[in-house]
Amino acid sequence: MAEPVIKLENVWKIYQLGKVELVALKGINLEVAPGAFVSIMGPSGSGKSTILNMIGCLDFPTQGKVFLKGEDISLLTENQLSQLRGKTIGFVFQEFNLLPNLSALENVMLPMIFQGMSEEERRERAKALLTSMGLGERIFHQSPELSAGERQRVAIARAFANNPELVIADEPTGNLDSVTGKKIMEILTDFHKKEGKTIIVVTHDPNIANYSEEIINIKDGQIIANHLTASKVLWQR
Amino acid sequence: MAEVKEYFHIAIRNLRTRSLRSWLTILGIVIGVFLIISLLSLSEGIKQTINQQLRSLGGEMIFVMPGDISNIMAMFTSGAKLEKEDIGAIERTRGVETVLTMSYQSLVARYGQEGKMVFMSGLSWEKGIEIMERFQGWSLKQGEWPTPGKREILIGKQVETEIFEKPVKVGSEIVIKGKRFKVVGILNSLGSKQDDSSLYLDLSLYQDLTGEKRGAAQMAMVKVRDGSDVNKVAEDIKENLSETRKRRIGTDVADFSVITSEKMGDIAGSIMAVIQFAIIAFAGIAIVVGGIGIMNTMFTSIRERTREIGIMKAVGARNSAVLIIFLFEAGIIGFAGGIGGTFLGAGLAKAIEMYGQVHPLFYFSASITPGLIVFGLVFSFLVGCLSGFFPARRAANLKPVEALRRYE
Ligand SMILES: Nc1ncnc2c1ncn2[C@@H]1O[C@H](COP(=O)(O)OP(=O)(O)OP(=O)(O)O)[C@@H](O)[C@H]1O
Ligand SMILES: [Mg+2]
Repeated sequence: MAEPVIKLENVWKIYQLGKVELVALKGINLEVAPGAFVSIMGPSGSGKSTILNMIGCLDFPTQGKVFLKGEDISLLTENQLSQLRGKTIGFVFQEFNLLPNLSALENVMLPMIFQGMSEEERRERAKALLTSMGLGERIFHQSPELSAGERQRVAIARAFANNPELVIADEPTGNLDSVTGKKIMEILTDFHKKEGKTIIVVTHDPNIANYSEEIINIKDGQIIANHLTASKVLWQR
Repeated sequence: MAEVKEYFHIAIRNLRTRSLRSWLTILGIVIGVFLIISLLSLSEGIKQTINQQLRSLGGEMIFVMPGDISNIMAMFTSGAKLEKEDIGAIERTRGVETVLTMSYQSLVARYGQEGKMVFMSGLSWEKGIEIMERFQGWSLKQGEWPTPGKREILIGKQVETEIFEKPVKVGSEIVIKGKRFKVVGILNSLGSKQDDSSLYLDLSLYQDLTGEKRGAAQMAMVKVRDGSDVNKVAEDIKENLSETRKRRIGTDVADFSVITSEKMGDIAGSIMAVIQFAIIAFAGIAIVVGGIGIMNTMFTSIRERTREIGIMKAVGARNSAVLIIFLFEAGIIGFAGGIGGTFLGAGLAKAIEMYGQVHPLFYFSASITPGLIVFGLVFSFLVGCLSGFFPARRAANLKPVEALRRYE
């Protein structure tokens, strides 16, 4: 098997709430192969977002290791990590994805600024992405002038801006009606198929999970089973 | 480096969307910079006017005034006199070429139906005119120099047109304390409004008029002989004066001051320095308050926009990028306040100067130099950046997860 895009090795996350310890992740082991489409499911509070933060290199484990393309992220400086994250990972959150003061176009251009892309290149790519999302008419609108579905599409366009290897989405359809949600998932699946990008989605919705090739179930900070809907099991506990 | 331009762009966008708050914060800086610029340009203007006047006094002169120079107010109001013996002592001093004595007082002068308070200087014409012409730059705009002993007066340029409703003409009469004086000459501007709005008459006539003792005077101007050391002569005058005084009144309390024109400049300079220091201190407080305003706005805005900061970091913003964006926001607020404050401050200074030119109440002009304007702008930008630094650093150091958790 090819080198996993992301690998979690015995990852623990413990939050210190005053004197009480809250163990959010209990020794997670996980590998995601390049080009996979993975869903993470589980009840509220089970630790899905926490895992996703580890995968997205937004947070560090209390114990254990995270490897992004084979590189131990705990060895990187904050700035190196930002750089790597911006280049390798695209993010779509449930809501409030966009910078409200910037237009759709500028939001999509933002990650490319941090990678030092030229203004012209940025503009071209952002326009192309937004147009492919069916937002060609909306590029100068700011987020308050967009519908929830449109905002999510802008967010997806932005997630793909730097042509990342991995896109992670935390309940990207959680705030949308089922029709719009379906559309968003189709866009994601489309990108996955066309570009062969790795996608990891956290969701509550079994219908959404059906788009993916693999489902990881989480409960109380532990992976309880890997539902196999695709061809192979990447990790069996 | 190219991305810095983008950060600037983002900062502008952020400021524009919370414009009311931005404007209010800017106003805080406007007030501070306004104070600094207007007061500095006025005080600088006063300083220049004083220097100009001192320069117009001409090279190396020594001034002898009753009273102690370290107590300016007492000096001008004490009404102490240089007696005949004192003046004699000055004249006897080695190195002294000429001693020109003078007295001055405000009196009511009538011209036609009108009575106005004017400043009147008496100086002995015989020595006076030559000295004034040579060392003080006196020249006649119209008419002729008065004849010593006759009831003839000279008037300053402002007296001609500004003091009385009707312009004062050469040959007309001005009545002071019931005595008639003929205006024989009008002086060209002497470079100070005070001097330009005075009447000048022979010291003996002045003394008849005011009842001042003959031979005494309020002050003396000493012209030093060529080649003599002014400071040495001043020292000697001081010594001679105290001796005479001791003999006469039995004390050697220094109730007169002997000052060279250079020293006079120094004194004026140090007074101005104190005034300017006070101005800067007060305006500095205003600026600090404005800066605290910026800091407050920035902290509030960072708290509100924590989520945005999280997103920026998630999509690859380095700490420095976040820091620069927020520093720009603060700096722009400061700079905008600087533009407003500099503009208003310079405007006020100009307005006061114009008022001063119409009404002979103020004797100065404002000094608005390009340097002062650049200072105002750069300074306010720096105040902005400085006040924004701690908020911006807090924003830059936020951990991405923590920042993203807000709003959730
Ligand atoms: N910063 C934090 N401080 C303290 N506790 C936290 C923190 N973040 C998460 N937790 C706790 O960790 C556990 C897992 O949280 P997490 O957000 O991963 O759940 P989730 O599965 O995403 O839930 P949901 O479906 O509601 O989004 C929860 O009990 C939560 O309260
Ligand atoms: Mg969650």
